[in-house]
Amino acid sequence: MIRGQFALLQRELWEHRSLYVAPIVVALLLTLIALTGQVSVNGMDHVDIGIVGASNMPENARAAVMSGIMIGLSTTFVFAMCILTIFYALDSLYAERKDRSILFWRSIPSTDFETVLSKLLTAILVIPLISFALMIATHLAVLLITSVWVGVRGGSGLQLIWASAPFFDNWTATLTFVLALPLWLSPFIGWFLFVSAFTKRSPFLTAFLPLAVIPLLEKMLFDSAVFAEAVFVRSIKMPLFKDLETMERLFEEGEDFAMVGDAELSLLSLMDLGGFLSHPGLWSGLIVCGLFTAAAIYVRRYRDDS
Amino acid sequence: MTSLVSARNVSKHYGDLRAVDDVSFDIVKGCITGLIGPNGAGKTTLLKAVLGLTDCQGSLSVLGLDPFRQRKELMQNICFIADVAVLPRWIRVKQLLDFVEGVHNHFSRKRAEELLARTKIPANAKVRQLSKGMVTQLHLSIITAIDAKLLVLDEPTLGLDIIFRKDFYSDLLGDYFDEGRTIIITTHQVEEIENLLTDVMFINDGRIVLDASMESLPSQYVELLASGEDADQARKLNPIFERDVFGKKVLTFEGISRNELSGLGELRTPDIADLFVAKVKGAAA
Repeated sequence: MIRGQFALLQRELWEHRSLYVAPIVVALLLTLIALTGQVSVNGMDHVDIGIVGASNMPENARAAVMSGIMIGLSTTFVFAMCILTIFYALDSLYAERKDRSILFWRSIPSTDFETVLSKLLTAILVIPLISFALMIATHLAVLLITSVWVGVRGGSGLQLIWASAPFFDNWTATLTFVLALPLWLSPFIGWFLFVSAFTKRSPFLTAFLPLAVIPLLEKMLFDSAVFAEAVFVRSIKMPLFKDLETMERLFEEGEDFAMVGDAELSLLSLMDLGGFLSHPGLWSGLIVCGLFTAAAIYVRRYRDDS
Repeated sequence: MTSLVSARNVSKHYGDLRAVDDVSFDIVKGCITGLIGPNGAGKTTLLKAVLGLTDCQGSLSVLGLDPFRQRKELMQNICFIADVAVLPRWIRVKQLLDFVEGVHNHFSRKRAEELLARTKIPANAKVRQLSKGMVTQLHLSIITAIDAKLLVLDEPTLGLDIIFRKDFYSDLLGDYFDEGRTIIITTHQVEEIENLLTDVMFINDGRIVLDASMESLPSQYVELLASGEDADQARKLNPIFERDVFGKKVLTFEGISRNELSGLGELRTPDIADLFVAKVKGAAA
C-alpha cells in the first residue's frame, strides 16, 4: 500500500512537471530580480535590498526587515502555489480520460481510492512542500546576494545579514502556513478534484461557473448572499493568525519596519495554531473536502467511459 | 481442470440495450480462448466485466474473486492490453518500468529489460516518440514480465502493420504463454489467431452462440463443397448455412457425421471466420 502510494505520487510528478517546474521558475525569477539589487515585496514596489545593510539600524528592526523580505519572497510562492493547485487539481482526473490512458491506469493493481488519494495528497502536501523547499532556496539565494552587496560596500554581510535573519522563526511559521493553507482551502480542492473526475469538457469553466452563478441565483431568488459570503470568507480569512492587523501593517506602503519598536518581531507568536486546529471552520471544510473526494472516487469507479 | 473464469447468467444492460444478455461460460486454466463477434456484439463489455471495470448482473467469478468488488486483488493476477487502453503518452520507458515495479508484486524488472533489449525501443524514450507498433511491443514486454495468471487482449493488434502483428503473436506464444497461463483474446483478424487458439467462443447480440474447443470443431462442423443434384441432396440434411463460391455451393453442417455426406462432394472443416458467419447468419435466417 505504502509502496504503491509512493509509485502513484511519483506518477503525479512525472505527469505534471509543472508541480516543480513552476516553483523553480518563480525561484529563478526572484533571484534574478534580487541580482538587480531590488526585491519586489508584496505591497512595496522594489525595496532596495541595501536597506538592511544600514549599520545604524536597531537589531530588532533589521531582523523585522529581513523577515519582511523573506515573507515577501514567500508570498510570491504562495500565489504561484494557489494557481498551480487549481490547475493541477482540475487536470488530475481529467487528463487521464482525455488522453485515454485511464484504462491503462485501471489495469494496475491499485484501487480508485488509492489513485484519487494520491492526487489529493499531491494537492495538499506535495505542492506545498516543493514550494516550501524552493522558498528556502530563494531566501538563501537572495540573502547571499544581499550579503555580497553589503560586503562590497564595506559592511559585514555575515554579521549584518546572516546573523540577524530570523531563520527559525520565519521558516517554521512559513512551513506552518503553507501546510495550513491547503487544509483551510480543502473544500475548493475537493470540489476541483470532483469536477476533474466528473466533467466531460473544460474543467476550468465547470469548476468556476457555479461559483459565479450560484451567488447570482441566490441573490435573485432569496435576496441573500450566504453562499457568496461562505466562499469569500473561506478564500481570504484563514483563522491562523491572532493579529491580522500587525501582519497587514507590515506590508502597508510607507510603513516603517521599525514600528515594532523594541520588541522582537516573531511570526510564530502571531500565529495561533491551536486556535486554527480547533476552529470549526477547518473541520467543516475538511468534511466538505472529504465528501467531494469520495464523490470523485465514486465517479472514477462507476463511470463507464468507453 | 480449474475454472479461472466462471460466468453464470451474466447480463449487462445500458438502458434498453442488452450489451451482454444472460451469458454463461467457463474458461479453464492453460487455454487460449478466442472471443469472436462483430462490432457491438458485447465482446468488450463482457471483457470489461471480467476485468472488473464494469458492474454486471448475474454471477461472475474470476480467479475466485468478484472482479468488480475485488479489482485490486484481481489486478495482481490479471493483465490486459486493449486497443483503447493506451499507455500514457508522456511517460518514459524507464518511468513505466519504475511505476509497474512499484505497484505490481509480480513484476520482474529484469525480465522486462531483457525483453526490451531485443526491441529497438530506447529506454529513455517517451511513449509519444514511439510508433504504435513499438508501444504495443512495450506493453507486451511489460505484461510478459508480470507473472499473471490471466491475460486479456482486446484487439491488441488493431492498427498495426503485418510485421508487428506477426511478431506480436509469436512473442506472445514464445515468451508469454506457458501451461500456467491463460489468455482471452478478441480480434477482427480472426485468421491470424486461428492457429494459436485452443478454444473459441462466438458472441452475437450479447449472447454466446458457440462455445467449443478447437479440437472438437472438426467432429461437430463440416463444410461440403457441392453442386447440382449433390447440393440438393445435401440440403435435405439441414445445413445451418449455405453460400456460393465460384459457382459451387458451400453448405455448412452441424452435428452431421462426415459419413453421411461422403460422396456428395469435397468435405472440409470450416475455418473460424466462415463458421462464424454460418452460425450468426444461419441463426438469423
